[in-house]
Amino acid sequence: MEIIEKKQNEIHIFKVKGRLDSNTSPELEKKIFGAIESKSLNMIVDFEDLDYISSAGLRVILKTSKTLKRSEGSIVLCSMQDYVKEVFEIAGFDVFLSIATKMNDALEMF
Amino acid sequence: MQKQTITFKLSNRLSELKTLNKKIDKFAAQFGIPNKCIFEIHLVLEELFTNITCYGYRDDKDHWIHVSISCENDIMTIQIEDDGIPFNPLEFEKPNLKCSVEDCEIGGLGIHLVKHYIKECVYERRGNKNILILKKTI
Repeated sequence: MEIIEKKQNEIHIFKVKGRLDSNTSPELEKKIFGAIESKSLNMIVDFEDLDYISSAGLRVILKTSKTLKRSEGSIVLCSMQDYVKEVFEIAGFDVFLSIATKMNDALEMF
Repeated sequence: MQKQTITFKLSNRLSELKTLNKKIDKFAAQFGIPNKCIFEIHLVLEELFTNITCYGYRDDKDHWIHVSISCENDIMTIQIEDDGIPFNPLEFEKPNLKCSVEDCEIGGLGIHLVKHYIKECVYERRGNKNILILKKTI
């Protein structure tokens, strides 16, 4: 897994490449929560190059979403591949998470 | 298609996930398994393997988890055998999925995903072993 971070209009963007599984998810969690500690409360996670996600990855996104909501921040996910999106849907996470089709749509949600 | 089988064992450490992934990819490439099916097998085996590794043992000893994957006439059969505490994932209660972000708890999410992707699943406790047999149409 590879994570590329950037800031755009006060929004912290994480581009995640590769696999988000039990081994790699802690690294994303560390980066996201590091950003939250530095007061980045609005973030986009770009899944365009994410090939795989398991419940360990879902858990990080859920924990982030809960934490940001308490701090009046927000997280938007974007550009998911079909298989990855299906995992979010089966888990029922699409009901309460903001999921945008493309990065431009995600940026407009703030 | 003639029956093809691979068997391997993994130790009860999360780092073994890499070995598991390599075995699945090698098997899938050899037998031309479609990409979506490969994705689902990775997911199912990861969830079951991490469950066993994280919750299956009450000691600090090394244990082996035995896996076999076979393919015959478009049916894939996966068997997982471990000597952890008795655990039947089929009896695991479905988590409350239609909930708001504040009260959504994660328990059982991995098993819920497994049950979605695998339609046929048999659990057996044999001696000190959990044996789980999954069947999936390719």
